[in-house]
Amino acid sequence: MSARTTLRVIIIMMCVLVYAGIAVGQESVQKYFNDAACKVKATADPSQKREILNNELQNMSKALDKVRSSPLVSKTDRAAMDRFKTSLQEKQDELAGTNGYARVSDDQLNDFSDYVVQDMEQADKTITISVVTALLIVIIIILVT
Amino acid sequence: MKSPLYRYFASATHAHSMPMAGGACVALALFLFSCSSIPPSHRTTPPGDEGGLPPRYSIVCIIHGDGGYLYHDARGDAHRADEVTLAKAKTVAERNTQAEVFIFHERRRRHFLLFFPRRDGTLYYYRHGRLLAEESYWRDRGQLRFDPEMELYNRFRVEESPELVRLFLYFGHEIPEFGGAGYDASYKNRTFTVDDLAGGLKRITRDSTKVDLVVLSTCFSGTPHTIAALAPYARYVIASPDNLHLSYFDLRPFERLDIGLREGDVSRFANVFARHAFDRLTEDIQTAVTVVVYDVDRVRGFVHSVDSIYDQALITVKGKPPASIERCDCAEDPAYALPGMNEGIAVLYRPPRFGRLKHKKSHSGWECWRLVK
Repeated sequence: MSARTTLRVIIIMMCVLVYAGIAVGQESVQKYFNDAACKVKATADPSQKREILNNELQNMSKALDKVRSSPLVSKTDRAAMDRFKTSLQEKQDELAGTNGYARVSDDQLNDFSDYVVQDMEQADKTITISVVTALLIVIIIILVT
Repeated sequence: MKSPLYRYFASATHAHSMPMAGGACVALALFLFSCSSIPPSHRTTPPGDEGGLPPRYSIVCIIHGDGGYLYHDARGDAHRADEVTLAKAKTVAERNTQAEVFIFHERRRRHFLLFFPRRDGTLYYYRHGRLLAEESYWRDRGQLRFDPEMELYNRFRVEESPELVRLFLYFGHEIPEFGGAGYDASYKNRTFTVDDLAGGLKRITRDSTKVDLVVLSTCFSGTPHTIAALAPYARYVIASPDNLHLSYFDLRPFERLDIGLREGDVSRFANVFARHAFDRLTEDIQTAVTVVVYDVDRVRGFVHSVDSIYDQALITVKGKPPASIERCDCAEDPAYALPGMNEGIAVLYRPPRFGRLKHKKSHSGWECWRLVK
């Protein structure tokens, strides 16, 4: 393959990746928590349900921390990520019953897993995190888990 | 003497020159076609030629799909909110044999072969339960937000009879009260605000009769500013002042308007629709569910009394970073908690089943802005 052809292939692949990245990046975070909810519902043991939820929330928080420190992330993205992280922390607190929250009872864990997913799927403002940041979060999540 | 390598490239170039030229012609033709103004419609019957009585109901439905509209149901299955709503709106259109229905689906702009833009809006026009036209259009043509839709609306709509009941439905993300850039994922600099929506309604009503019912299936649309903006053009508004899950308000009551609106009682129909939407949402949704019916004439007094306070709040929050402002129930701010606050509204509310607001017992039906403490 000539250098010119290789270059063309690379350019087309980059275009495809950026184009796909717009959807993949934003939606992978939703899919990540939806997968967690499915795992929670497939498990009978409440302690395992709790562990799955806690791990998934913690992993996402860690990924946000790692991405936040990247120079590729804009100031606007950092603000959006901070809001998201606060929301995740509140859910972790409620799951564990800390920081003034009553602990989510064992028989409510399935519903709580839906709540985590649905809280991100409201018809409010669209996600404002850039493609680069969203892709970084996805990559870090894959590496962390 | 020419080298074997040169001969190889020369023969390869010659062998491929014809297909390449052909490919270039096809690409050029596609490019020209994608940029042309010829509408690629496949109308089944010219409007007006299908006969029958004039419609008793007119529905205009705008479904915004140019953004993040993925959601999951309680089984974990993924759905696109705009596509699910489009399917439901088509069912409504097919089952109402006494209606004309405009469904505008605003889609994300896509490109053919990465470079050739494709039309990003589609109109489905039904009359008497039959699809009479399906027409793709460019959403970014025209000065005003709804210029392309209004052009199509005026082209297809029937002459109105005085008894015509007019219904308008909007499905999408929260409609901004200020700014509004970035609402469309495909057009980052294009803006969309509540005032643009009101402008669209004004053009539908054409300064005559109001739309009988406006349904805003979005988050945070039950605000004094939004209701005030729509008030000149709507008799009743159904909206969610709080968050609304992307599964939206269920459209089933719209499927048989000949039964639901038999007596022509729009107020009753609005309340039945709101109750149905509320019940369907609370079955599966764990986040807050708030559905409110606003009798526009009756809420006018309250809206007018808080108008200047709300406008001042908007000026205050406009310049603030998003992290420092938030939505809240207007009842939590003494400036809005006036005696007429509950007049003319029917509020259906269930708090979120988790989170810091799970013990909130009621909602005033009005949403406001405040600075985060």
